[in-house]
Amino acid sequence: MAEEKDKTKGFMKSESGRRLTQILTKDYLDLHQRAGEGAFVVWVAIIVPAELFYGFDNVVFAVPESHAALSAAKGVGMLQCEKAEHNGYSMDICSYARIDIGTAMSGGQDSPTFGLPRPHLLVSNNNNCSLLVKWFDVYHREWNVPHFILDIPFCYEMQKETDLKYIVTQFHDLIRTIETLSGQKFNIDKVQEALRNSSGAAKQYKRFIDCAVHRPSGITAFDSFVQMAPLLTSRGRPEIVDHFRKLAEETEEKIRSGEFPLPEERYRLFWDSIAPWHQLRKMSSRLADLHANIIAASYTSCLGSIEGSYEFIQEYENGNPLESLARMQNFSVCPYGMELRFKAMSWAARHYGIDGFVFASNRSCKVYSVMQMDLQKRISEELKIPSVMIDVDHADVRKYSEENAFLRMEALLENIDAGRARPII
Amino acid sequence: MSDVGKNIIRARENGAKVVGCFPLYPPLELLHSFGLIPLVLWDLKEQVHTLKESDRHLQPFTCSVARRITEFVLSTEGSLFDGFLMYNACDTLRNMPEIITRGLEERGLSRPFLKFHVPMTPARQTDSTGYFAGRIRELIIEIENAFGVRFSSERFLASVRLYNAIKKLSLEMENLVAEGRMSYGDFSLLIGKGFFMTPEDYLSALDGAAEKAKSNPAKNISGGRKIIVSGILPPPDALCSIIENAGLRVVGNDVASQARSYAYVPREVGDPVSYYTDFYRNHHPCTTLLYSSDERLTLLTGLIEKKNAQGLIFIGEKFCEYEYLEMPFIMKTLKQKYIAMLQLEIATDDHEHVEAFRTRIEAFSELIG
Repeated sequence: MAEEKDKTKGFMKSESGRRLTQILTKDYLDLHQRAGEGAFVVWVAIIVPAELFYGFDNVVFAVPESHAALSAAKGVGMLQCEKAEHNGYSMDICSYARIDIGTAMSGGQDSPTFGLPRPHLLVSNNNNCSLLVKWFDVYHREWNVPHFILDIPFCYEMQKETDLKYIVTQFHDLIRTIETLSGQKFNIDKVQEALRNSSGAAKQYKRFIDCAVHRPSGITAFDSFVQMAPLLTSRGRPEIVDHFRKLAEETEEKIRSGEFPLPEERYRLFWDSIAPWHQLRKMSSRLADLHANIIAASYTSCLGSIEGSYEFIQEYENGNPLESLARMQNFSVCPYGMELRFKAMSWAARHYGIDGFVFASNRSCKVYSVMQMDLQKRISEELKIPSVMIDVDHADVRKYSEENAFLRMEALLENIDAGRARPII
Repeated sequence: MSDVGKNIIRARENGAKVVGCFPLYPPLELLHSFGLIPLVLWDLKEQVHTLKESDRHLQPFTCSVARRITEFVLSTEGSLFDGFLMYNACDTLRNMPEIITRGLEERGLSRPFLKFHVPMTPARQTDSTGYFAGRIRELIIEIENAFGVRFSSERFLASVRLYNAIKKLSLEMENLVAEGRMSYGDFSLLIGKGFFMTPEDYLSALDGAAEKAKSNPAKNISGGRKIIVSGILPPPDALCSIIENAGLRVVGNDVASQARSYAYVPREVGDPVSYYTDFYRNHHPCTTLLYSSDERLTLLTGLIEKKNAQGLIFIGEKFCEYEYLEMPFIMKTLKQKYIAMLQLEIATDDHEHVEAFRTRIEAFSELIG
């Protein structure tokens, strides 16, 4: 099918975009179908190693956070939030949690995926977001569903061997729990295969986001936000390796043929927060009008890496899959502290040639946002790169003011210009 | 200078090193056994009146606990601490060690900041005792290295006994409040001050207050308007007065800095691993101890029945998502049991503006009367 240039600046429709839609649609349809046919359903937090579930014949998993992001991107975030609020859940709770609770309490009504099939087991973890444990506790109590809490120590330094062993012990307990509840036997060989697939997919995804290194950038961070979904909802499946390989090839080919989302790129920005799901198209096109491109983000750059780094390390061939999965428990940005995050972001600034940082202070995500004020100071003082902080809730549009955000981002661009005009002494 | 600042200076004049700890259930006995003075940095509303320093580091959507800790530690009084200890709690607090360390560095100060991981797995799910034992042993070595002190089992046992005496006396005083021999406001004030005193001084203060309360006559209340108070922080002092002036008697509490802190009295042993395994595993349920939240509801309803309370006032802490996520189910369950509940939300500055709650509390009192 021929490529078509979208009318909106800063955004290109692509074959991979269409394939992504197909993958996600199939993911959710299969999930509902298999659940309807009697599969054992697990709801997981995004960092929970979903590869383990492939060790069972008939276990499927759903990712409420991903569903909430999709709902926000499809414009029903606020509607679902309001349902949760009407049931007594405070507006100050994370908007992902409110969307998910609102969806669950209305039986999936208004959801772009008809909600999620009801779980037999909930598996949360407390390193990416400890609030998520409480969020899953809501279903645990309302539906009397068992809740398994993975306790992953927060990292102020690199992960310690003792912590890794503690995590592996918990994986064994999780496997035993599923065996007991589902009556199915676990086969670790299938986990190895799933892990190879996840590893392969992450490697290709990294290749794709590295297209941002080119000047002008071959992608926007908004592309990477959208494309990360299968890494969470389809983890472990062979199709996603293929999808991300094609995505990387397609993007590289576009660079070779001179097709860029923003050819007249003047400002290369870095985004620090979860994606503003309700603003993807709007924000990228308005930035494009200013010749600015958010080319990379801590949210997506971290995938497949470990704490303190955005470089790809999730290479898996053989070896103990449980240890490998335990080592990857910090592959997102939230489970580690400011020192490590600063180290990773400093690398990203050099790697991508960043002109400015946008810290999106997100009241729905304390774990991401609390430390940003100090991080911003360090970026300015130590890296000498201009930055700005804006207020954006990742999924509740009511907590975002476009004009306020753009006023600040425009000031950032002026600041970058001023720095360029300043004579080098 | 606040009482806390004076207490720190006095302790240091006596040659002791003072360690600021948070959140609420740090290994105080262990620190004390080394000759250190641990002070729990919680509910600093009496000590912190502006948030100038905190606002340079934290967004306004963080809770008052985090904002006040930051402000206090980065103030002149806070710089008197010799070190800090923090264990894992919520998404906000886990960022605090690095924020505080950086804030102190900006002032040219460097202090040891010990971090300690309490396993959050339910016992029925994972046996974390081996892992936890390793963390306790590691912590002992870190304390020794940071403060140049040596562990002693005998001293640890003595400290355990001292802190257990405080817990037992606090429980006794809670009953005196329920009997009407002491006001909940006075009790709450005293317990709050205890966090910033040496345990010896605190025990002495509790003892004096308990003796005085015992000499007061028990008071009956008309209409049986007995309530339980719950929350991460206690009601502000002025709110305690409004509650009691509305004819309500606090016959028990599920406040994190009160009953949740003293209600479980662990076995007295000289081995820190055994002691803290018992301490955390059997701790009074708290929303911050993720493995214990199932028990919280059972305990809360049991407490209401045991104390023959007619209602519960929940003191919500603005931006405490842990509590926000537990409350709707608790409310639903209590409603099914025909127990009235009043949910209040207190933001950082609200302790000085509690009059807005008066009408609601008075209406609640009439409702259950």
